[in-house]
Amino acid sequence: MTSKKADTVARAATPMPNSSKKAIPAIVILAIITLVGIGAWVYQLANGLAVTGMNNGTSWGLYITCFMFFVGLSAGGLIVASSAAVFGVRQYKQVAKPAVLLSTVCIIAAAAFVLIDLGGVQRVFNLILHPNLTSPLMWDVLVIAIYLIINIVYLVLMGRRSNVASDRALAITSRLALPVAILVHSVTAWIFGLQIAKVGWHSAILAPLFVTSALDSGLALLLIVLVVLNATKLFATSKKLLSSLAGLLAVCIAVDAFMVGCEILTMAYPSAPEEAAVLTLLFTGSSAPLFWGEIVLGLAVPFLLLVFSRLRESVGVIVVASALVVVGVFLKRAWLLLTSFVTFNVAGAPGVAYGRSGLDGTDIWSLIGTYAPTWVEVTVTLGVIALAALIYVLLAPRLFAGEDGHLELASAGAPAFATPLEPALPSADASTAAALGTAAKTT
Amino acid sequence: MTRLAIVINQDRCIGCQTCANACKMENNVPMGMLWNRVITVGSDVIDGAVGTYPNLTREYLPMACQHCDNPACQAVCPVGATYTDEAGRVLINYDICIGCRICMAACPYNARVFNWEEPVRDPDFNYGHKDVPVRPRGVTEKCTLCKERTDEDREPMCVTCCPTKARSFGDLDNPSSAVSALIREKSAYQLLPERGTSPKTRYFK
Repeated sequence: MTSKKADTVARAATPMPNSSKKAIPAIVILAIITLVGIGAWVYQLANGLAVTGMNNGTSWGLYITCFMFFVGLSAGGLIVASSAAVFGVRQYKQVAKPAVLLSTVCIIAAAAFVLIDLGGVQRVFNLILHPNLTSPLMWDVLVIAIYLIINIVYLVLMGRRSNVASDRALAITSRLALPVAILVHSVTAWIFGLQIAKVGWHSAILAPLFVTSALDSGLALLLIVLVVLNATKLFATSKKLLSSLAGLLAVCIAVDAFMVGCEILTMAYPSAPEEAAVLTLLFTGSSAPLFWGEIVLGLAVPFLLLVFSRLRESVGVIVVASALVVVGVFLKRAWLLLTSFVTFNVAGAPGVAYGRSGLDGTDIWSLIGTYAPTWVEVTVTLGVIALAALIYVLLAPRLFAGEDGHLELASAGAPAFATPLEPALPSADASTAAALGTAAKTT
Repeated sequence: MTRLAIVINQDRCIGCQTCANACKMENNVPMGMLWNRVITVGSDVIDGAVGTYPNLTREYLPMACQHCDNPACQAVCPVGATYTDEAGRVLINYDICIGCRICMAACPYNARVFNWEEPVRDPDFNYGHKDVPVRPRGVTEKCTLCKERTDEDREPMCVTCCPTKARSFGDLDNPSSAVSALIREKSAYQLLPERGTSPKTRYFK
C-alpha cells in the first residue's frame, strides 16, 4: 500500500510544471493523512461498527453526515459549471474545469462515506444482484454512479482539443449534467425526506432545501479552491469573477435561509407534540450548538459579508465568508441527521437497547438516542477528506496547466481575464455556439 | 392468504419481561440487544408510574417488530433483504443484508437492532431453536414471529411463556381465529396508526 502510494506521488511529481513543485509537501502530508485514515478503516473492518459511536438508537452518525455534506459540495460545483454552459453565462464557464474536478473528487468522497458506513461492505455486490427499486438508497446508488460518469466525461471532454464534434459532445454533456446534479442531491434528500418515521425529516421541502444548501456549500468551496489555485499560480481567476460568484453565493445563502425558515415555521405553528420535541432539541437542546451555529455562522454572517458589493471585492472577505458557509452547511447536515434520532416515537423505560455487549444490567438501555463520534470515525473521515484533496492536487496541474496561457498570464502578474466577457476558454465558448446549431469554429 | 399476528391485552400485562427473555433465549439473540422489550409507557424507569401522587397511572407496552402490512423498512431496503413472506411475517434475509441501516431509520417503532460487533453470547454457545439462523456481524435483526416455531404450527415463544396469557397468536385472515375475534370484540388498536404502516400487531385494554 505504502509503496504504491509513494509511486503515485513520484509519478505525479515528475511532469508537473514549476509552480506545482511547491505542492509536494502538501501531497506528502495529504498522502500520510489518507494512509492513517485507511489504517483506521481497516481497524473498523476488523472490529465492526462497534468501534464507532453509532448504536441502535442513533443508527447513523458522522459518516452519513459527511455523505450528505459531500454530495452537496459536489452538486454545487457542477451546477455552477453546467448552468454556465446551458444558459450561456460565459464568465462562469471560465471556472468550469476547476469546478468539475472539484465536483468529481467530492462525489468520490461521498461514495466512499457510504461504503465505509456499511456494516457488510463485503456483501455490497448485492446492490447489483438484488436491487430493490423502491429504495431511495438504491436510487442514490444509481444516480451517483451516473453522476460520477458524467463528471469524468465532462473532464475528459474539456481536456480535448476543441473541434465541432467535441464541442457538441461537451454541450450535450453539460445539458445532461445539470439535471443529474440537481437530481443527485434531491435523491440524497429523499433518503431522509421520505421517512415517515421521523417528523424532523419527513418534509417535501427537504429536496429543494438540499439543492439550495448544495449550491451554497459547493459554490463556497469552489471559491476557496479558486483562491488557492490563484495563490499557487495553477489557475488564474480574475477578482471580478470571484466577486461575481460571491454575489451568487449571497443569493444562494438567502434562499437557503428562506427555506430553513419555511420548514421551521411549518413545524412550529401547529404546536404538535412530536414536532415541538424536535424544535426544542434544535432551539435549546442537544442540537442547539449545531442549529444556531448554522444560522449564525453559516447563514447570517456570510450573508452580511457578501451582500455588500464593496465588501465582496476583498478576496479575504470572500474566503472567510465561504469558509463559514461550508462549516455552516456541515452543521446543518449534522443537526438534520442527528436531531431526529434523539426522541423515540414510542417513549418509555427501558428504551432502546444500545447494542453492545459488555455493558452491565440496565446500562444496555438508553431512553433517548445518543451519539458522539469516536476517534476511529474522526480519523477515517479526515482520511477520506485528505484523499479527495490529494486527488485534486494531483490532477489539477495535469488538467489546467499548459493551456490557454493561464500559468503564463498568472505568473506575469496580469489579471488573466480582464473583462469577464472576453472568451477565455475557446472550447467552452464554442460549446454554446454548437448547441445553438451555429456550429461555430474556434479560432 | 395468511396474516399471522400477535394481539396483546395490556390489562393483563404485569411488566414481568418474561416475553423479552423467552424471545432472547429462543432466538439466540446476542448480548446487548433484544428483539422484544416491555416498555413502561412515558416513564424514565422500568415499572415507574406517570402522574402526581395519588393520581398515578402505569401502562405496560410489550414492544417488538409490529409486522406491518405496509412495512416502511421493506420499501427502503436497497437490496430487498427485508421481505414479507407468504404467512405475512416481515423477515430479513441475513445473507443479502449489506448493513446500511436505512431500515432502522425507517422503522417508526425502533424495533430493529444491529450487530455492531461480532455477536457475543452468554453462555458462549448458540442457544434457542436449532433452526434459527445465526446472524453475522454487520446485519440488522428483529422479531420473526418465531418463524421456526410458527412454521411447525406452534405459537411464538413470547406467547407460550407469558404467565398472564396477555398474548394471543393467530391468523388475521381467518375470521374465526382468536386474534380476529379480539380485534372485533375489543377494538384492538394499532401503534402509531398515523404513520400508515398498518401493523399486524394489535393491542387492547
